Amino acid sequence: MKPARFALERPRDLAAALALLAQAKGAAKVMAGGQSLGPMLNLRLAEPELIVDVSGVAELRHAGRDGDAVVYGACVTHADIEDGRAPDVGPNVMARVASGIAYRAVRNRGTLGGSLAHADPAADWLSSLSALGAEVEVAGPAGRRRLALPAFVTGALSTALEADEILVAVRVPVMNPSSRFGYVKHCRKVGEFAHAIGAVLIDPETATGRAVFGAVEAPPVVVEDARVLFGGRIPPGFADDFDVAAADDTLARAGMTDAVDRHIHVEVLRRAALQAHALSGSPLRPDVRSAA
Amino acid sequence: MNAPVRPPRVNVALAVNGRAVAVEVEPRTHLADALREELNLAGTHLGCEHGVCGACTVLLDGEPARACLSFAAACEGADVTTIEGLDDDEIATELRAAFTREHALQCGFCTPGMIVAARDLVLRLPEPDERRIRLGLAGNLCRCTGYVGIVRAIQSVISARRARGLGPTAGERGLGPVGARTGSSGASAQSAATAETTVAQAPASAEIPADFRPAHSLDQSFEVGFPPDQVFAFFGRVEEVAACLPGAVVTSVPSPERVEGGMRVKLGPISATFRGAADVRRDEAARAGRIRGAGADGRSGAQGEVRYRVNAGSTPGSSQVNLTVGYALKGPLAQFGRPGLVRDVAARLVAEFAANLEARLAGRPAGADAAAPALNPLRLAFDLARGRIAAWLRRVARKGDASTPRS
Repeated sequence: MKPARFALERPRDLAAALALLAQAKGAAKVMAGGQSLGPMLNLRLAEPELIVDVSGVAELRHAGRDGDAVVYGACVTHADIEDGRAPDVGPNVMARVASGIAYRAVRNRGTLGGSLAHADPAADWLSSLSALGAEVEVAGPAGRRRLALPAFVTGALSTALEADEILVAVRVPVMNPSSRFGYVKHCRKVGEFAHAIGAVLIDPETATGRAVFGAVEAPPVVVEDARVLFGGRIPPGFADDFDVAAADDTLARAGMTDAVDRHIHVEVLRRAALQAHALSGSPLRPDVRSAA
Repeated sequence: MNAPVRPPRVNVALAVNGRAVAVEVEPRTHLADALREELNLAGTHLGCEHGVCGACTVLLDGEPARACLSFAAACEGADVTTIEGLDDDEIATELRAAFTREHALQCGFCTPGMIVAARDLVLRLPEPDERRIRLGLAGNLCRCTGYVGIVRAIQSVISARRARGLGPTAGERGLGPVGARTGSSGASAQSAATAETTVAQAPASAEIPADFRPAHSLDQSFEVGFPPDQVFAFFGRVEEVAACLPGAVVTSVPSPERVEGGMRVKLGPISATFRGAADVRRDEAARAGRIRGAGADGRSGAQGEVRYRVNAGSTPGSSQVNLTVGYALKGPLAQFGRPGLVRDVAARLVAEFAANLEARLAGRPAGADAAAPALNPLRLAFDLARGRIAAWLRRVARKGDASTPRS
């Protein structure tokens, strides 16, 4: 199908983009690479009157180190992260997530900020960056604010963004060198939306960790203190202690009623934990702190 | 032609296959249509038009991109290379020979996009690794060959090039979407949003089917500190019940058994305004009821029902309300194939409905104002022009008696 009629503006800078949104009074939709919104427009699921295309806003197309975090402009693409043009927060951490998103032709235009603002529960960044403890930076008429991802995502395809605000950057904490990241998604076909996602960020040295059940058709279920999933502690061989019953119980309490769904999500998270463990002690561990 | 209203068009400058061109297109025209319809470059094929099949893959600033998911106007100033522009390209030439040799096509529909994707793999993959090639082709659907010939063709080109000492390359480029040059609109660009309130469709009405069977249903129950009779009576006042449902509007109540109105539902960029009717049944003895409705917004249709039963609560003078909300969708949103997302919205709506109901019963103002921006009964027609779609929870309300379902 073809999209319904809309007007399109390509602001040259952020101020112009915000002014357009303010004028449009809620009738506008922000678009970056258009790889999520595009299908919805073509299927006429979305019919905004005005599209504000921010892909040409230079200040959204940068990435760099800022203190203990890497800050990615909203228009950094999946391919930029996959190829290493934008710095990673750990060795092959975000690059690996990026390389599994949809297809290369999509990754060349699809953006980090666009993916988060779209807030599709089955998308990769929402779950992986929730595990990595990312924050988003939002600009609006009243200035800027920062929100942790769980506060930003209010539901499937729903965020805390006001109609006159734009997600401008994503701040992802640089991983502690002793931390392990595991990310597994379950798809029936490569590139399709995931049916289940598991992500863990675990630091066996400090015995702390965070775990995320993603692609639950609602905001990710974030277990801020992952110790509950490993028998109350994070031992060096944590993956062996993964507590299936505790994980199942977490999902049940989060409202997942179908036992088969829970089984799949628990198993995918278990594999993410195994993967994080297997990556422990990898000799390929360049010092990311100097990388940026 | 009897001169229909000519939609606003924009001039877009592109470099297509090395040639500077200017095309005049609507803002909604995607790049593939601009190439095919305005420039007669029909080698770019259109299959699914939502980014899945890969037939429309072209090179934008030298990198593969979906021409169906890139609006021509958003590519102002970009370099576009289509299959026609790869006639003299060295790798494409080698790929064409290999595709011929390996029988890597039958009907040829996927081939233009396949060649573009294959060329990218030849450039990027260090070795002719079958697994990585197959992964790399996941975004280009071929329904004829089973991919065996395609994979072999790509492997052979990679092997031959690496044997000649031609390694993989990583093209230098800046950050950001390929094909997106710096924008030009300033802050004063007049927003066309005002003028664009074009087609206000006549609201569609929908029949309430006698044999409705919900495809999805949700249960919710809560207690309120009022006696069951009072709560059950409240459910009989349909306007008040509707006021608890975010997005719902009652326009008329022609009879105690019938309600007419609409419901506006929003899911991220998707929004739909369904208009329709509902029938209402109540079973006084069982203190139960059913509101069953159907709505349509022109393309999508929705049917839904709310069943409720009011029981004595855990303490004297309180009630337990059991709600079952069921719905079924037709049209684009159903075809979108993400029933879980609809379920999440429906679950949130039901939860809000229950909270508002509770507040209203308790005499507090229902937080239904949360929905206020969405519902504006007098302006449904304008709302229709703005966004419609999809759907879930369509329902407008009707009710019937839970003990004698006709379905």
